[in-house]
Amino acid sequence: MTTSITESRVPRKTTPPSGVPGRRQPKKLGRYLAMSPGLLFLAAISLYPTLYSLVVSFMRWNLSSGEAARFAGIDNYVDLLTDGLFWNSVRVTLVFVFFSVLIELALAFGLALLFFRGLPGDKFLRALIMMPMLCAPVVVGLLARFSLEPTYGIVNQLMRSIGLPTTEFLGNVDLALPTLIAIDVWQWTPFLFLILLAAMQGLPEEVIEASKIDGASWPRIIWHQFLPLLRYPILVGVLLRLIDSFRVYDIVYMTTRGGPVDATSTMSWQIYNVGFRAFNISYAAAFSWLLLLLVLLAVNSLIRRMVARS
Amino acid sequence: MSVAKHRSINWNVGVRAAVAVICTFLFIAPVLWMVTTAFKTGNQAFSGEIQWFFTPTLENFAEVLGGTRLTYALINSLQVSVISSVVAILLASGIAYPLARYEFRGRNQIAATILSLRIVPPIVTIIPLFLLMRTIGLNGSLLSIIILHVFMNLPLAVWLLRGFYEDVPKEIEEAGAIDGLGNIGIFFRMVLPLAMPGVASTALLCFVFSWNEFLFASVLSNAGSQTVTVALTQYVTPVGTEWTLIMAAGTLVAVPVWLAALAAQKYLVRGLSLGAVK
Repeated sequence: MTTSITESRVPRKTTPPSGVPGRRQPKKLGRYLAMSPGLLFLAAISLYPTLYSLVVSFMRWNLSSGEAARFAGIDNYVDLLTDGLFWNSVRVTLVFVFFSVLIELALAFGLALLFFRGLPGDKFLRALIMMPMLCAPVVVGLLARFSLEPTYGIVNQLMRSIGLPTTEFLGNVDLALPTLIAIDVWQWTPFLFLILLAAMQGLPEEVIEASKIDGASWPRIIWHQFLPLLRYPILVGVLLRLIDSFRVYDIVYMTTRGGPVDATSTMSWQIYNVGFRAFNISYAAAFSWLLLLLVLLAVNSLIRRMVARS
Repeated sequence: MSVAKHRSINWNVGVRAAVAVICTFLFIAPVLWMVTTAFKTGNQAFSGEIQWFFTPTLENFAEVLGGTRLTYALINSLQVSVISSVVAILLASGIAYPLARYEFRGRNQIAATILSLRIVPPIVTIIPLFLLMRTIGLNGSLLSIIILHVFMNLPLAVWLLRGFYEDVPKEIEEAGAIDGLGNIGIFFRMVLPLAMPGVASTALLCFVFSWNEFLFASVLSNAGSQTVTVALTQYVTPVGTEWTLIMAAGTLVAVPVWLAALAAQKYLVRGLSLGAVK
């Protein structure tokens, strides 16, 4: 059905590869046939949970209580907005996202500036820098626990060797969240670095030439010539980092498990606890919706610009 | 590399190179430490000071692989990652090729909607999907993990493949049509081989993301269908942690990804940036 409508309206614009008019009809049908398995699959697996959790979020349903689910209106949402643990997780998540992405961007930009004019062995160094980002977050979590371990951990050994006291980074209420941010920065700065480096290497020749002249004009060249041209790659890189850091869960699971005293209880972590430990499915569903709203709020304008550009 | 015009620039390269090496070291030191610890005996690892030079041992790897749990998990992960990547590439090609080649109404909306699926945090979808899998009796199976990994990787694959198929010159298809090939023939015999480096890199990236994924796998797997990331969590115990074994296991989990990334290096940045930076 759709095929015939499109057929009658678009033929001027479309240039079918063959140019044989008699073949157009099956080709139009073919493209929808080709797209349908993937689109149906995506629709099924994305619409189902979305609608399901929306409905469930307006019910009262706890798997562990054995009671049947019943309609509860906006109770879950009201409870959430007065729940100290909810607001704590919002704060933890926002602090984590803001500082990790900001620091990653700053470091990656500096690193890319260092590399983009070419260095002896730069390809090799670049390949090495990629390694943290390729490790599974679960592996990074294990590695972080080992590195930060008080007695044998490499970090504490190095700190002792320069006279600093042994520190329990992950067990300290004030240090746990900054430590998680540092772990994220260590793992994901390479990601933004790769994107920015590739973008800088693709800058127009005259901009690169101008940057080679050393002197006081350097910061000005970066600010006035680099940044405007790099706006799109920065936008995409930051967007992808935002999306991924809002969902942070794996490294929390492997290192702090939300502690000490909820200092690192991110929203994803808290939702997992509510849903899979307390089995309060409806509360977790409402919680999920608020997380989704927060993420959408944060990335909405960026993603619009990305789609518009492509 | 730029030809130095002044001595000052030459000197500059030296300083930049030194700083670059130090920065690189900061990023790989923990990884190096993990890999070296994996080759150490307990005494070497816990001597109280860091030893970069020592006689390596394969004991840890032997012990980790000797215990069936990680070995099974490696086999499970291999199945999940390979199958889900291939299926994702097939389904995504079906969507990406028409998006790349034809102008039709709703084309951009389809692309944007697919991209927007990438935003949704997995924790939001996992609870309903867990209940669904339980209802249809799939939870605890590798198939359920494969299905979710295909879902996870499809948006990425569609966006990347669209770009790679656009890069194939249109004249190729015209030539194919003149030779009497149908659409399917044109795609499989002419477009796909030409786009192969990009398609293969996309598949490798899907493999990496599936291999590294933890949340879906941990919720949906049981003791028999654990993937490597889930199996690694068994090593996280409050007491009696055997770090040399853990680092050997961590290394075993990380190495396939490093190899995949090496193979996909040419298109890695393009892939990681969803095609935005080429």
